[in-house]
Amino acid sequence: MTDIQVTHSDHGLGVVTPAGRLTMVSARALTEAVASLVDQGTSRVVVDLGETTFIDSSGLGALVAGLKRCRQAGGDLRIARPTAQVTAVLAMTNLDKVLTPRASVDEAF
Amino acid sequence: MATAREVVLEARPEDIDVLQDVVADLWESEPGVADTERMRFEMALVEIFTNVVEHSERAQHGPPRRRVAVTLTVDDDRVQAVLVDDGRPAAVDLSSVTMPDADATSGRGLALAISAVDDVSYERDGDRNRWTVTCRRGS
Repeated sequence: MTDIQVTHSDHGLGVVTPAGRLTMVSARALTEAVASLVDQGTSRVVVDLGETTFIDSSGLGALVAGLKRCRQAGGDLRIARPTAQVTAVLAMTNLDKVLTPRASVDEAF
Repeated sequence: MATAREVVLEARPEDIDVLQDVVADLWESEPGVADTERMRFEMALVEIFTNVVEHSERAQHGPPRRRVAVTLTVDDDRVQAVLVDDGRPAAVDLSSVTMPDADATSGRGLALAISAVDDVSYERDGDRNRWTVTCRRGS
């Protein structure tokens, strides 16, 4: 079971941390977590992928949907701490150009 | 010697987790399969199973769902998955699959599967759909 935790950093960022597998099973919960942050006025969001053991195309779709949502609200979505599998999938789908991985949540913005 | 796992799943999202647990169990029995090969194989397998789930849900939301028989085999030279389901024929031409643009929120599944492993094939076999995912070892 994938657990998606949402917190706020000291700098006013939303931090979303999906732990476990990010597939069709959990992608909608990630999309909703980001949308909910934006609706509440937080449009600068970091998705911390340090505990994401596996991502598939549904998970990528949720990240892209979240990115669009944040940008429409004048903010941005960035990803931090991707695991080897996440990094490989981003490269294979050419999404590493729009979702540039950052080394840590603090360095994301 | 070949190691195999067989599991019959329902074409529903929750069973993606069940499938990935079976894959994890397979790797426990086959520690010699390299990390990159495990990763490539699991990526393609999850995409193909998800594709079956999506088409099943589109055709009929809720039970009775398609049943998907999955056989995973590890040989010295390859890791292979065969997925057989009893759903309607999949209208798919794997030779025309391309990776969507960066702003797409869907449609990457088959392209990702094809680029992850050495071969993905689909055939209609009587009243069944048969998908085969092959990842060569040491390539």
